[in-house]
Amino acid sequence: MIEARGLSRRFGSREAVVGLSFSVRRGEIVGLLGPNGAGKTTTMRMLTGFLPPSDGDAIVAGASVVEDPLAVQARVGYLPENNPLYRELCVRDHLRFIGRLRGMPEGTLRDRMREVAEACGLREVMGRRIEELSKGYRQRVGLACCLLHDPDLLILDEPTTGLDPNQVMEVRALIKDLAARKTVLLSTHILSEVEAVCDRVMIMEGGRLRAIGTVAELVQMAAGKALVRVKIAEGKEAARAALAEALAEATVEEKEDGVLLVAAEMEPEALARAIWRALREAPCELVALVPEQTPLEEVFRRLTGEGQA
Amino acid sequence: MRWRIVRAIAWKEWHAAMDQPLGFVVMAAFLLVAGFFFGKNLFLAGLADMRPWLEIAPLLLSFFAPAATMRLVAEEQREGTFELLATQPITDAEIVAGKFLGALGQLSLWLAATLIYPLSLFAFSSPDLGAIASGYLALWLLAALAAAAGLFASSLARHGVIAYVLGFALLFFAWILERAAATLPPAWQDALAWINPIAHYRAMLRGMIGLEDIMAFAAWAGVLLAAAWLRLVGRRWA
Repeated sequence: MIEARGLSRRFGSREAVVGLSFSVRRGEIVGLLGPNGAGKTTTMRMLTGFLPPSDGDAIVAGASVVEDPLAVQARVGYLPENNPLYRELCVRDHLRFIGRLRGMPEGTLRDRMREVAEACGLREVMGRRIEELSKGYRQRVGLACCLLHDPDLLILDEPTTGLDPNQVMEVRALIKDLAARKTVLLSTHILSEVEAVCDRVMIMEGGRLRAIGTVAELVQMAAGKALVRVKIAEGKEAARAALAEALAEATVEEKEDGVLLVAAEMEPEALARAIWRALREAPCELVALVPEQTPLEEVFRRLTGEGQA
Repeated sequence: MRWRIVRAIAWKEWHAAMDQPLGFVVMAAFLLVAGFFFGKNLFLAGLADMRPWLEIAPLLLSFFAPAATMRLVAEEQREGTFELLATQPITDAEIVAGKFLGALGQLSLWLAATLIYPLSLFAFSSPDLGAIASGYLALWLLAALAAAAGLFASSLARHGVIAYVLGFALLFFAWILERAAATLPPAWQDALAWINPIAHYRAMLRGMIGLEDIMAFAAWAGVLLAAAWLRLVGRRWA
């Protein structure tokens, strides 16, 4: 759905995005994650034909953003950062305006307006001016504008920023609902959002792509070592001996009451299995065997180099 | 250029202007000032004559038209809605054309409203309908020029106020240049009479509307609209 090849953008001498290459498959929800100023918005603006790249190209929904930006724009639904809307128009006029710009025939437009108003919960506010609406409703209007022409690909720049927790949940639910039928690329700096809705994550920093993969893959990439918590009720010394013998490369650290923290450079699940095999025969009582999850916050911190002071 | 899209943008500009109290306040002020210049001769000298109003109209439009056009691009840049507009599958030329027609529509409404003054003369006398028609054609061409100049000014600025000042400066400069032309060497006078749209406006007020007068307005409006278009295209590389 998206195939970016060496996408770069300079503003004067400042390099906002450098040699970005990645692909997004049909039906995926991909999160674009990064600290402020990482180049997320510039990337999305290039993918939607708003900014031409200084270098490289991207094939978005089957068209090149360099050669045919209008074809890209016709096929993509884009929610820009801060959800800009014409505040002086009422919701109905706003949707109609966007639909006409998209060249939709009036009959189709009327039907689609009814459908998106239903899907985005806008039925009761169709006659209200945008400036009178709450932020949550405005966000739904923004999404409705993206959906009007029924695009296969949605590109959403920080769709939940500035919303209160309830509104965030609503918008996320709406995105998840859409994702059943569409491909979604969304940017955010909220890590829990990525964990909540995304299949895959791209982490950007300083205009460069630092990592791309599923949340689990990134966790492993950042952690390097898998950690497994092993709780022993009886025979802790015997367990340590057995582990030292079976897993020579692992380090074992004793934590609070009967918990051993085993670290090794392998997949968490493989490590857990190896530990289980080692302790099966040992004269000890195994109570719990828990692969440690590195929280995404930690992954993000490590991959973007923050906290490496 | 797709007419449906141009029309949709013009429609939105018209709506945005008409749905706001500011649009009516500016129009009311314009009508009031126009009425003053129209009535001046009528009441003071007892002369039923449109000339004072038509003569001062370029100056009035310099003051008032930029208030109608200043938002066109500047506000969209400031509010971020330009990104929403520019990521629809439309061309920059369609944006310029739509916004120009939207603004021209608004100025045309102002001019149409001032028609009440010359038409009221029919109550007392039988004014020259031809003179009214040719005067208003010249005035409408001037409004189109003002809309194009205001749109260009708005494309240069990020603030509505700066767009207003730029738009005013462009129109006022042309007006003052025409007034000052008499003090210049004859060769310059001829060149200015040929180039300056206000000089063509005055020529049209004398009752003769030549093709070259109309062409002068069309050429200037074309240049200003092309400049606004270049500005929008260039913005992508800023």
